[in-house]
Amino acid sequence: MSDTFVCDDKDTLIAYLYDEIDPIVRRRVEDHLRVCAACAAEVTALSSVRVELASWSAPERELDFQFVRKPAEVLRPAAWWSGVPVWAQVAAAVFVLAVSAAIANVQVRSGPDGLVVSTGWMSPASAPLSDAGPATVATRASDESWKPALAALETQLRNEIRSGRDVGSNVVRASARTTPDDVTLKNIELMIQASEARQNREMALRLTQFNRDVNVQRSADLVKIDQIIGQVAATSGAEMARQRQTLNYLTRVSNPQQ
Amino acid sequence: MVATDEELVARSMAGDAESFNQLVLRWERPIYALAYRVIGRDEDARDVCQETFLRAFRALPGFKGQAKFSSWLYRIALNLCRDWIRRKKRTPVVDMPEGVDVVELAAEQGPVESIEDLVARQEMSGIVADGMRLLPDEQRTAIVLKEYHGLTFQEIAELQGCPLSTVKTRLYQGLSVLRRHLESRGMTSLHNGRAS
Repeated sequence: MSDTFVCDDKDTLIAYLYDEIDPIVRRRVEDHLRVCAACAAEVTALSSVRVELASWSAPERELDFQFVRKPAEVLRPAAWWSGVPVWAQVAAAVFVLAVSAAIANVQVRSGPDGLVVSTGWMSPASAPLSDAGPATVATRASDESWKPALAALETQLRNEIRSGRDVGSNVVRASARTTPDDVTLKNIELMIQASEARQNREMALRLTQFNRDVNVQRSADLVKIDQIIGQVAATSGAEMARQRQTLNYLTRVSNPQQ
Repeated sequence: MVATDEELVARSMAGDAESFNQLVLRWERPIYALAYRVIGRDEDARDVCQETFLRAFRALPGFKGQAKFSSWLYRIALNLCRDWIRRKKRTPVVDMPEGVDVVELAAEQGPVESIEDLVARQEMSGIVADGMRLLPDEQRTAIVLKEYHGLTFQEIAELQGCPLSTVKTRLYQGLSVLRRHLESRGMTSLHNGRAS
């Protein structure tokens, strides 16, 4: 870097103008400006431009951007069952479960093989068949004995179907007898209280916002009314002054001897 | 104690939306002013400002903190401004804000500034805005970032993606154009300003 500042070094001139310059270089520029009228004038002019730039301001607008993460339940549409009491929802769920179990013929058996869970109609039916094993053996022994065996199978199947229905109906009756216990009622009360508190808060918030908006609008209206009255007064004053001048002129013209 | 940008950013990334709201409150005005001066339209500047914060919110998980949060925001805003100018394919113009008249402004300013001063300032503001409109985008953006946001040459260079010397050249050329414009409007050396 040279020891003196040269006129064409605009980068350094700008650095000097914005005071982002090494102190040593700054001193060199200042030395140069004392002897170079053209550069001194340019620095003065550009500084003046900077001063004028300050007059350009962005509009004073109310921006008030907000990024509020809404709770998920607010964003979801209300479910149709939201109005149904909790205990009724529980009862309905148990009912559906019981009917499903009855239709699927769910059977839980404890035997020598351990706990056996079976579903459907075919599997349970196989168990009685195996129980009826001796009858089957007897069928082989006598060709005429297949009829009682078939009748026994039919009876067994009917019993199975009936027992399945009975299980379903028993569960339904049990669920119908189900009543909300104290804990459920307590939970319901708490949910209702929370909901009411939330609604009260929202209502208070909206009322506050409404009140504030009304006040802001009222203030703005008052300012405008005040301005209009001022403008009307100014206009009236100017008109009166003009009429007074006209009157004076007419008076002077009508009495030239005075 | 006021939380720093970095603290608010960390809380926002942890899911605290209110912290991000505080960042918005802190930076909406500078970002709006930047957008207004670069693209020159009030309503579009509002849109750009809002979009800046939306994009920042979405991109927050990817913000690693290599740069200052403000620089990151400025970069998003400037990219949006550039997109806007490119999309509109028109020279930015400066609109006077709607519904603003001298009397209202006088009422806002109070007794500190007289009506005459106010009118003169409005007139000067319009002349400066006209001059800024004459500048190429890069020069105008450099001047806006330097004059109104106080960024360093280095920060402007990083935002504009150019060498430091280019920033200085843009500033010099832009100020020279503005100088000629002001002189042509009779504003020759109104102030005996000194280099700051």
